Parts: sequence; C-alpha cells; structure tokens
Amino acid sequence: MSRSARDSSDRPVSRLRAWARRHAYSLLSSLGALTRQPLSAAMTCMVLAVALSLPLGLHVTVDNVAQLSRSWERLDSLSVFLDAGTGDEQAMRIATRLASWPEVLAVDPISPAEGLRDLSGQLSLGELTDAIPDNPLPWVLEVVPAGQADIAELAVRLEAKPGVDLVIVDLQWLERLDAMLGLIANAVRLMALLFALGVVFIVGNTIRMEIHNRREEIEVLALVGATSGFIRRPFLYSGLWFGLLGGLVAWLLIRVGLFSLGAPIERMGMAYGTEFSLTAPSAAVNALLIGGSGLLGVIGSWLVVDQYVRKINPG
Amino acid sequence: MIAFESVAKRYPGGIQALSEVSFSLQPGELAFLTGHSGAGKSTLLRLIALLERPSRGRVLFDGRNVSKLARRRIPYLRRRIGVIFQDHRLLSDRRVFDNVALPLVIAGLPYGEIKRRVRAALDKVGLLDKERMYPPMLSGGEQQRVGIARAIVGKPPLVLADEPTGNLDPELSAELMRFFLQLNELGVTLLIASHDLDLIRRLGRRVLVLKSGQLIDDGLSVAGDHR
Repeated sequence: MSRSARDSSDRPVSRLRAWARRHAYSLLSSLGALTRQPLSAAMTCMVLAVALSLPLGLHVTVDNVAQLSRSWERLDSLSVFLDAGTGDEQAMRIATRLASWPEVLAVDPISPAEGLRDLSGQLSLGELTDAIPDNPLPWVLEVVPAGQADIAELAVRLEAKPGVDLVIVDLQWLERLDAMLGLIANAVRLMALLFALGVVFIVGNTIRMEIHNRREEIEVLALVGATSGFIRRPFLYSGLWFGLLGGLVAWLLIRVGLFSLGAPIERMGMAYGTEFSLTAPSAAVNALLIGGSGLLGVIGSWLVVDQYVRKINPG
Repeated sequence: MIAFESVAKRYPGGIQALSEVSFSLQPGELAFLTGHSGAGKSTLLRLIALLERPSRGRVLFDGRNVSKLARRRIPYLRRRIGVIFQDHRLLSDRRVFDNVALPLVIAGLPYGEIKRRVRAALDKVGLLDKERMYPPMLSGGEQQRVGIARAIVGKPPLVLADEPTGNLDPELSAELMRFFLQLNELGVTLLIASHDLDLIRRLGRRVLVLKSGQLIDDGLSVAGDHR
C-alpha cells in the first residue's frame, strides 16, 4: 500500500496520510454504492440473513434442549430395591447409612405399604391393599444423587451393598437424547459450513453484478492510474457491509423468534411444573456470527473482484 | 519519450493489428497519428498506455522497456500519461469536479490541493462554471473538454488523444487543436490520433501514417507552417 504513495511524496507521514485518504475514499464510495441501490442491497442482506438464521436458529434450539436435558438429569433419582423381607428397622438403617455418602443428596424410603398405595392410586384400582393380603412389594429407597456424582458408578456401588436387591436407573432415555443432541449439533456445524459457503457465493454474485454495473467506472479508474488495490477496495468494503448487515439482521431475526416463543415456552414449562425460559445465543456466538459473516462477505467479494482486476491490467 | 522498436500486435483470432512498427517521439514533441479506421491507431495508443501488451518488439517509455513492466507497476506508468478519448469516458453519475479529480484522488492528494488543481484544469478548458454539473448535462464539446481537463490535471509529461475531434464541428475542432498546441508549448509531449486530414495539414506538424497495421509515412505535413 505505501508503495502507491511514492509519487505523492516520499515522507512516510504524508505517505500514510495519502494511504488513509485513499482508504476513506474507498469506504465512502462503497457506502455510496450501497445507498444508491437501497432495494437491491436490502434484498441481498435479507437473503444473507435468512441463510444465516437457519443454522443459528437450529443452534439455539439444540442449545436449549441440551440445557433442559441437563436440568432433567439433575432431577433424576435412583430406585434402590431392597431384598424382599427386609424389615422396617433394617431398611431405615440402610437409608441412614446411604444418606451419609457424599455423592448422595437425599434418601427417601418408601415402605411396601406406601408403594402399594401409590401403585393402586396410579393404576386407579381402588383399594388394592384390601385385595392383596400379602403385600409383595419390597422396601424401596429413592436415592437422589448429588450434583456432580457419577450416576452409573453410584448405581454399581449401591448394587454391591448387602441387603440391596436391585438398582434401577432410568437414564437410558436421557442418554439417547444426549446422543441425538450430539448428532444434531454435528449436523448444525455441517449446516453452518454449508451456509457459510452460501454466504460467500451470494455476496460474490452480488458483487459480480455490481462490477458489471460499474464496469465503465472501473475501466476509467484503471485508465487514470488506479492500482488494483484501489479498484478492489470499494468492492471489498461492499462485501464487508453485506456480510455484517446480513449477520446483524440474522441476529435480529433470532431475537424476534426467541421473543415470540418466550411466553408459550414459559406456559409450557409451568404446565410441566418446571421453570424454563429460552436462552439466547451467547455474546461469543453473536460475535462469531456477525464478524464471521463480514469476513465471508469480504472473501466472496475478493474471489470475484480479483478475477476481474487481473483482466484490466494485462500481465 | 516514446520509442517503438519493431512492434507487432496480433489479437487472438489471428487479426494482425500492427506489424513492424518503429518510430520514436522526443520529449516536447507533438505528432499526429493518422490512417483509416482499423489501420491500428487505437491499438498503437493502447500499447503505450499498456492497455495491451505487444506480441513482439519493444515499447520504450523514457528509455525503459514497458512491454516487460510488472503488472503491479502499470498504474504508476499510466499516471504519467494523460489519455483523451473520442467518447470522453466520463462517469455520468459524478459531477464534473469529481470526474476531473479522479487521477488526484487515486494519487491520494489532500483535498485542498485536489480542489486547487481541479479548478486550475477546469479553468484552462474554460469550464470552471460547470464544475457542479453532471456530464450528461453538458454538450459534446464541453464533455470532451472535461475529458481533457481530467487528462491534464495530474500534469503528465505525455498526453495521448484518440480521435479527440471525432464528434466536434470544424470550429470546435480547430479550437481544440489550438489548445493542444498551447499545451505542447508548455512542454507536454502529445500524440494525437486523428483522421481529420485537413486540420492536420494546416498545422504543419509531424504526421505518422498507419495503413493496415504498418507505418507507411513519417514526416512533416505538407501545407505551410501555421507559425
């Protein structure tokens, strides 16, 4: 860049000034081009925004479902079935001992009689207790693990304890959900890559049309001694603006989407007795979205402009 | 200033635009380039401004072989050459002032200096009062003068003109030629492509004649000297 300033002056300060002046000109020129055709610029930004909001929206969905599943995991408990015929006293002793383990948060003992009452209530069988004289249910200890506990390991340890018949951990569906979320997250990454490629081509194509419209201007610029960099720069800025605006509008679309879904989600959470609200994408994700989109715009523009500039200055 | 040494230009498709063209132009010289359309006048000018590269031979500018000039050095060569076109090549969506300022903006001059020099150039072609207008609002002759102001605003040592009088009436053409002579007196080297033979003959300057891509004559025009 500084090379191009040598004919204006050889002092480094004025070279820098000349460089800054040329940059300012390119920047203003690119903004001018954008505002001269506001409709087509807005349409390009909208296409970019829609393309970007699809992977971002999916990312937000996966993120929220993952958070929900984490909160479910914490609510999960292990059902420890004691040997049949374990007496009340012994059951309570085991319960007290388990409660002192660091990886156990709470133990809720359920007597066979309680269990039968629950069961008959759930199955709406009326007074099942009367029908079955000999209660076949064992003592069950509902163990709530501490937050950081490894549930699978805890289950093995519990099962090894004398007096314990069976430990049931209903984590399988959560594991399946986790696996599925992982898969979808991978798909989101793949989609983001595809849509990033899409952004490059959308911006490239828009810039190509802009170059076509301004062909005469480019030729005149080259004729009066503009360097390739000088010719290229306004278009690179245009690509940057398209990318940044597209990213910004995509962010806006997601915010509007989250806002409009917020109330129904809260109502649904209340219906399930849990408090749940949607989480917006983090600042880092937003920065990546908008900055990345701007960068992709510049890349798309560069690919097209470079090709064209080479034709003007025959090598 | 310029020297052609056995220059040939062949376009893809086998069209031989120039063959074995040799001549040189001294600094401060004014010469006309004439010949029928398609004789290679424009190609010759395009080779000097490096809008094209010669297929064979050497084109020298200030003693340096520009045929071999690196791509990235081309713009700096073009800044030392002012080019005037028959179709003006003005940007219709920019004001007259901005059109003329273009070479200076590209060079990165401060705005105050640009303003001063653009005004001076517009004054020289008599269009100072039109600086805020857009080219389509001007007459053909005025547009041509804007093109000339743009070509001379950077004070290039060499000015090339491709059929500058092509669309002008005889009176305006004569006026334009007088302007070129004035410019030449200030030390600018000029090479003017034109098929306005009557006008050229009256001026009594050096004339290069091209025919089918070959230089067939190089000498002073026959009619009396205007001085």
